[in-house]
Amino acid sequence: MKTTVLLSHARHPVSDRPQLSRLEAQAIALAAEVDEAPSGLHAGRNETGVVAALGHGLTALDRLDLADTTDPLSALAAFLTRQRFDLILAGRRGEGGHETGLLPYRLAAILGLPILADAVAITPGAAVETLVVDQAMAKGARRRVTIRLPAIVTVHPLAPPPRPFAYGPMRRGTIRRHPVDGSANAADLDTAEERPHRLRPKLMRQSAGQAAGANLYVDPTPEEAARLILAYLEANGIRRYGPLNDR
Amino acid sequence: MTATFLPWIVVLMIAVAGVQIGRRLRLWRRGQPAPVDWLGGLRALPKRYLVDVHHVVERDRAAAKMHVPLAGGLVAACGFLLIGLVTGLTAWRFFWALVTLAFLAMTAGALLEIRRRYPRRLARLSGGSWQTFPFALIAFAIASGLSALFATFGNALPALELLTLILAAVGGVALAATAAEGPMRHALAGATHLVVHPRPQRFGGGRSTELKPLDLDAEKLGTETPADFAWNRLVAFDACVQCGRCEAACPAFAAGQPLSPKHLIADLAAASAGGERPPYHGNPYPNARPVGGRIGLHAPIVSAEGVIHPDTLWSCTTCRACVEECPMMIEHVDTIIDLRRFQTQERGAIPLKAEEPLANFRGCDEPNGRVLAERTDFAAGLKLPVIAAGGQTDVLLWLGQAAFDLRGQRTLTALIRILTAAKVDIAVLGADERDCGDLARRLGDEATFQRLASANVAALASVRFRRILTADPHALHVLRNEYPAFGGTYEVVHHTAFLAELAAAGRIPLSPLAGRSITYHDPCYLGRYNGEVEAPRRLLDALGLERHEMARSGKRAMCCGGGGGAPVADIPGDTRIPDLRMAQAAETGAKTVAVACPQCAAMLEGVTGERPVVKDVAELFLEAIEAAAMRPAEAVRALEVEPA
Ligand code: SF4
Ligand code: SF4
Repeated sequence: MKTTVLLSHARHPVSDRPQLSRLEAQAIALAAEVDEAPSGLHAGRNETGVVAALGHGLTALDRLDLADTTDPLSALAAFLTRQRFDLILAGRRGEGGHETGLLPYRLAAILGLPILADAVAITPGAAVETLVVDQAMAKGARRRVTIRLPAIVTVHPLAPPPRPFAYGPMRRGTIRRHPVDGSANAADLDTAEERPHRLRPKLMRQSAGQAAGANLYVDPTPEEAARLILAYLEANGIRRYGPLNDR
Repeated sequence: MTATFLPWIVVLMIAVAGVQIGRRLRLWRRGQPAPVDWLGGLRALPKRYLVDVHHVVERDRAAAKMHVPLAGGLVAACGFLLIGLVTGLTAWRFFWALVTLAFLAMTAGALLEIRRRYPRRLARLSGGSWQTFPFALIAFAIASGLSALFATFGNALPALELLTLILAAVGGVALAATAAEGPMRHALAGATHLVVHPRPQRFGGGRSTELKPLDLDAEKLGTETPADFAWNRLVAFDACVQCGRCEAACPAFAAGQPLSPKHLIADLAAASAGGERPPYHGNPYPNARPVGGRIGLHAPIVSAEGVIHPDTLWSCTTCRACVEECPMMIEHVDTIIDLRRFQTQERGAIPLKAEEPLANFRGCDEPNGRVLAERTDFAAGLKLPVIAAGGQTDVLLWLGQAAFDLRGQRTLTALIRILTAAKVDIAVLGADERDCGDLARRLGDEATFQRLASANVAALASVRFRRILTADPHALHVLRNEYPAFGGTYEVVHHTAFLAELAAAGRIPLSPLAGRSITYHDPCYLGRYNGEVEAPRRLLDALGLERHEMARSGKRAMCCGGGGGAPVADIPGDTRIPDLRMAQAAETGAKTVAVACPQCAAMLEGVTGERPVVKDVAELFLEAIEAAAMRPAEAVRALEVEPA
């Protein structure tokens, strides 16, 4: 299965040095499950961060020689159309670049490919040209989906950890540098609005079912309070010790 | 008859042994080239053997008493006989009396070796052919000795003499035949190893403990197969005499982790030959993980199919206790690091938990992912100037990882307070101080280490200072011994030595902490790696502490379990190394364990239950200063309420 992993321009949150995004490193680990020699694709001038991908399991890296201020969408789409990958894996968004998180979707729209988000595991399907994807859902739920290839799949942080980095393979990996012809359009940054980051209150999870019922008790005796708390924990499956007199 | 034949038996033995060791020689030649000073090595051989090797052998008195007459007798007797053959001295009776004496000595030695193995052999020794070996030795010694005795007194009983000669020939050839795969190999390979030793600097009272830089442009990084080892390392493996001293000293073995340095070396000696994996008759790896056991000059060593399980490799704390104890001068730590380098750099096959700090190193030069500029945050309110590029200071304080750790910060705070009180001119690099790279290097990530080393050397070149002071023996070792290969040569002092200087100079008033019993735990990277075992003790004595030594102390101290990335690799065993060490400390009856390394402090403080208090020497020193600053009456009271 010919697979490529889209590699964004990421920066380390502490040192601000260019680095490989962890999620994309996880994507590489997934890619290696279905392709013996997965490759990666990056659009940009700076190689220092993304070469690490070769040390995490990619055998080759295609780099489109594109200025950082350029919108990579059309160049990526043109390249992917030429190369005909069966599977295109991506993270959720850049980490330190423009981070719209829209790139995989816009690519899918241009290429006319199906896109599936939040994969934690992938295996080749029973039928040819299909892929079985385990998707991460809210609250740890998983959903198994079979899709027809070619397709774009984005990876969820709960996917298995990346393979440890290895310096030797990084050094031996191939980097193919591709000039981008034609006048690429500058990134459409003007329409974007910039605001200071504001912390938002965390959304409270609605606890499911009956647990949300009447649980306000005014001034109970300590024994009564203890019983109620234990019963609540029991009812919600947090504590499973069985009847109280057991211990 | 003896006069005619016995010397020729020796010639025959030498021929057989030569053919046998020749088989190993061909294997050694398949190893990687290594620079060897043959002439210097040959010239130094007698001294290396008689002084350096004997110094180690002698630690086990019984072994020394056995080996001196046994090997001495054998070598002397064979030597005499060869000389006799060449010079014609064999016609002389006195000559035969000498030969008889030599064989007598050998017999005595062989008897002593038998005593070490019967009725029960020492747990660390090997069985199998090693168990029967002394009988071949004694048979040869007695038969040859009797033959020589007959020659001394003339041909009295020719029939008997013929019999003893035949026995001597059989025993001698049997001995010589073990020179390729058996016990006799240790003698020939051992002597060769002493000549071609990869670290000649360690002989004659020298020290050579730094890891050698790896050429990052090499075809293959690190060691995958036996053929990737330098040829003189292959010699080293063959030199192992399976005495098990390394195993008895190994903290990982004691904690039930799947590592025995003896087994490891025996596996490596076996690995190059190929074919069937020879049986091993020593203790198995504790909680041994199953391996396929495939061997061969070009077969991967560390893998589930190979001979050494990865868990074995990652259990090592790089404490060097094995190297310190090995009478054959084998360098286990070099070997383990070579193997780790391949696993980490070529295969990325490193325990996932150990990959975390390495990823942080790559991302931000700090194993816990902390901001370098925050290294000095703990010292808010203390006098700790940050030196700018071009600046100057007398003492440059290297804070290290301890500055990010609550326990380490207590030590560093104490140290800075002392330095301020003593009016020492200090400064730190601030955000320019990257991690020294010790952890990355021991985990086999040489590329990261070299990058950090070069960055630190550059940062250190931009400021002027007389010497570097650090409270971390790992940083000390790396800065002092490993950075010179990257162009940075510094005078580096450990805080124990520095504080001992301060105390001796009498520049600050100290009030003796009399009445408190302590025991000092030597950090491996200070004691064994750098030979500094005196200064810390001098310092503790100067503080008036009542010092009790643990059974294993100084250069033979046991590791706390904190080195070599072992805590992050976290290979499970039966118990934990710091628990074992703390029990040894408690055995002395001391109420306080004095430590001199942030890693030791963290490991030993992690021990649960009733145990002695863990204090860094800097903290004790500060207590002595503070006690002196109080009025005498108060000082006495303070000592009384002190929990320790
Ligand atoms: S260095 Fe220490 S832990 Fe490693 S094998 Fe030697 S004795 Fe064991
Ligand atoms: S490696 Fe050294 S200490 Fe260990 S068994 Fe062999 S000879 Fe003895």
